[in-house]
Amino acid sequence: MSNEGTNSNLSASPAEPNAEELLKETLKRCSPETITAALAFRQSGDVSLVPTVVLGIVERFLEPEVIDTLRNGDDSVKFMEDLGMDSLTMFEAIMMVEESLGVSIKNEELWDLRTVGDLKGFISGKLSGVEVTAKSKFYPIEQIAAVLPQQKPFLFLQTAEIDGKNASGTYAISGKEDFLEGHFKDNPVFPASIMLEALGQLGVFHFLATDESQADGAEESIFFTGADGVRCHRVCKPGETLELSVELKRRRDPMVVYSGKILVNGEKAASVEEIALIVAPKEQA
Amino acid sequence: MGAQRVFVTGIGIVSSIGNDEAAVVESLRGLKHGFEAFSPQNSSIPSDVKLAGTVKGFDVSSADFEDWTFPEPYRIRRDVLRSLPPHGPYLHACMAQAIESAGLEDAEVSNLDTGIYTSSAGSARLIHQNTSRLHQLGPMRCPPTGIVASIAGTLSFNLVAQFKIRGNSCGFSSACASSGHALGYAYDDIALGRQKRMFVAAGEDLNDESLLPFSGMRALSLEGEPERASCPFDKSRNGFVSTGGGTVLVLESEEEVQRRGVTPYAELLGWGQASDGHNVAMSHPEGLGLIEAMQRALRSSGIAAGEIDYVNAHATSTHVGDLSEGRALKKVFVEQGHSPKVSSTKALTGHGLSLASALEAAIVSLCLRKGITPGSAHIRELDPEFEDLNIIRETLDEGPSVALSNSSGFGGANVSLVFRKV
Repeated sequence: MSNEGTNSNLSASPAEPNAEELLKETLKRCSPETITAALAFRQSGDVSLVPTVVLGIVERFLEPEVIDTLRNGDDSVKFMEDLGMDSLTMFEAIMMVEESLGVSIKNEELWDLRTVGDLKGFISGKLSGVEVTAKSKFYPIEQIAAVLPQQKPFLFLQTAEIDGKNASGTYAISGKEDFLEGHFKDNPVFPASIMLEALGQLGVFHFLATDESQADGAEESIFFTGADGVRCHRVCKPGETLELSVELKRRRDPMVVYSGKILVNGEKAASVEEIALIVAPKEQA
Repeated sequence: MGAQRVFVTGIGIVSSIGNDEAAVVESLRGLKHGFEAFSPQNSSIPSDVKLAGTVKGFDVSSADFEDWTFPEPYRIRRDVLRSLPPHGPYLHACMAQAIESAGLEDAEVSNLDTGIYTSSAGSARLIHQNTSRLHQLGPMRCPPTGIVASIAGTLSFNLVAQFKIRGNSCGFSSACASSGHALGYAYDDIALGRQKRMFVAAGEDLNDESLLPFSGMRALSLEGEPERASCPFDKSRNGFVSTGGGTVLVLESEEEVQRRGVTPYAELLGWGQASDGHNVAMSHPEGLGLIEAMQRALRSSGIAAGEIDYVNAHATSTHVGDLSEGRALKKVFVEQGHSPKVSSTKALTGHGLSLASALEAAIVSLCLRKGITPGSAHIRELDPEFEDLNIIRETLDEGPSVALSNSSGFGGANVSLVFRKV
């Protein structure tokens, strides 16, 4: 996407350009294959051309050093983490996809499009009339903070993703957490109890974000009641990011039980067989 | 704690008369102007303007920023470029020069004690492009960076983000006095110990939308010969020649200068400002506000009028503006028995609006370091109004010891800055 406007600064063109020329202009920095595929899509409506167009548009916004990551990668390649795209670049790419293929994507839908596969599937679904929601749903910190009763400085979840019975999330240890001053003196180590708390928060988030039958005010009356089979495997320090995941094991109102684990750089850091939460009616809370 | 002394330790320039220090000094020595033929890029706009102070080596004329080109070695990432106004690449180059000339490490650029003040009118061109698109296609088809690239604070948003500035930041908007205000408040922040180091960055587009509206104000000269078009203090002056470009100055506290062991270009001794309270566009005929601005600058600097030996005048080559500044100079200096050398370097550079004061501060700082006094070019017949002033027409191989630089903007905003040789 350029800052191009109406071209009123250039000499006025004699005739209104046709749709094909406009499309070529929109895609002018994309590969020839991308443009050919987009033109063919416009003619035929053949949804199998969509991946070529979408990938061509994404590639056009990448810095040279990450283009191979996209070309050699599969559908799991992540826009932000793997390709270095920021949210503004995502907007630019999405706008170009919208203009090229004649689809419209809402802001809230954009949040869920994390990977190349998400985007391809989403656009194909839109175009074929089958609305597919992205496989998993992503939540940024703002949405987490709006849902959870826990707040800073006692919020240990910065991103979250929910996929059915599973939820994953991250917390980057900044080193600025107050308790690290004393845990331990001159040797900041993220406390195991807080790691367990972070998993509990992810469980609470999963519960609140997925349970549609819940009574109003559940977020004010959900408590940690127990944990079983807790193991810690490694020390976690400032600069590291906790990769949290929980899975819903069972729900028998008012109890809900999750298992959970924490990885750091793919290494197992902690695991818990059962985290039990209780959702108490307000008056009993 | 006493007030900190403030020094100019870094300079970056992209201007009509050169894209680095050496080129600018050479143009000043040889009185080489930076003007080229100008005709509107949109050829359907009727215009009688024939000249502009063009920036060479950069092509930012395309409506599509990905078509822009700039000289080696400046490389700008796409995700930086997309939020820049057309004058953004000039500033990118100026920041690189300024950081290098000041000898700053990354950590000295990005910390809580280093800030940036900017001035730019924004980009009327981009605002036009984006609002045209808005009317045609609606907001969701407008570039997401359209606002930050075009509104008046654009240089602050972009440079703070790109250079990871953590200290004070703000954009200044007082038309042709803007970068004078930016320098003045940057001086205050350092003098008062609020910041140790400040970047002051100023820039302007040069395109149909930046230049031609001044023709509508009847402020531009319509002459086709550079010598007749931009001729401050000449009897036949009839308007200014517009220019774009960029300038960055690095200001630092005395403590920082000593700690880093660098040799500054000059000391910024102090500044003053005052307003005319007279007319929305024209300066007060007697230079009422400018007189006060100069006197306050002298007081702030602890300098007597007689110690100023060079004045870099605001004089843009308009009939009224030059006259009012000439009268103000007579009041502050001549009537007190002093005759500092006076020149307007806009005869060579053209008038850079929000850029002007910073560009001239950089020029004055360079002259103090290099030991030259720039001449006032293109005077064929001096307007008798200025006969009492010591206007020098050639560049002298002797630099001033203490110099004053004036800037005046719309609404009668006046800023004077005082510099001393180090």
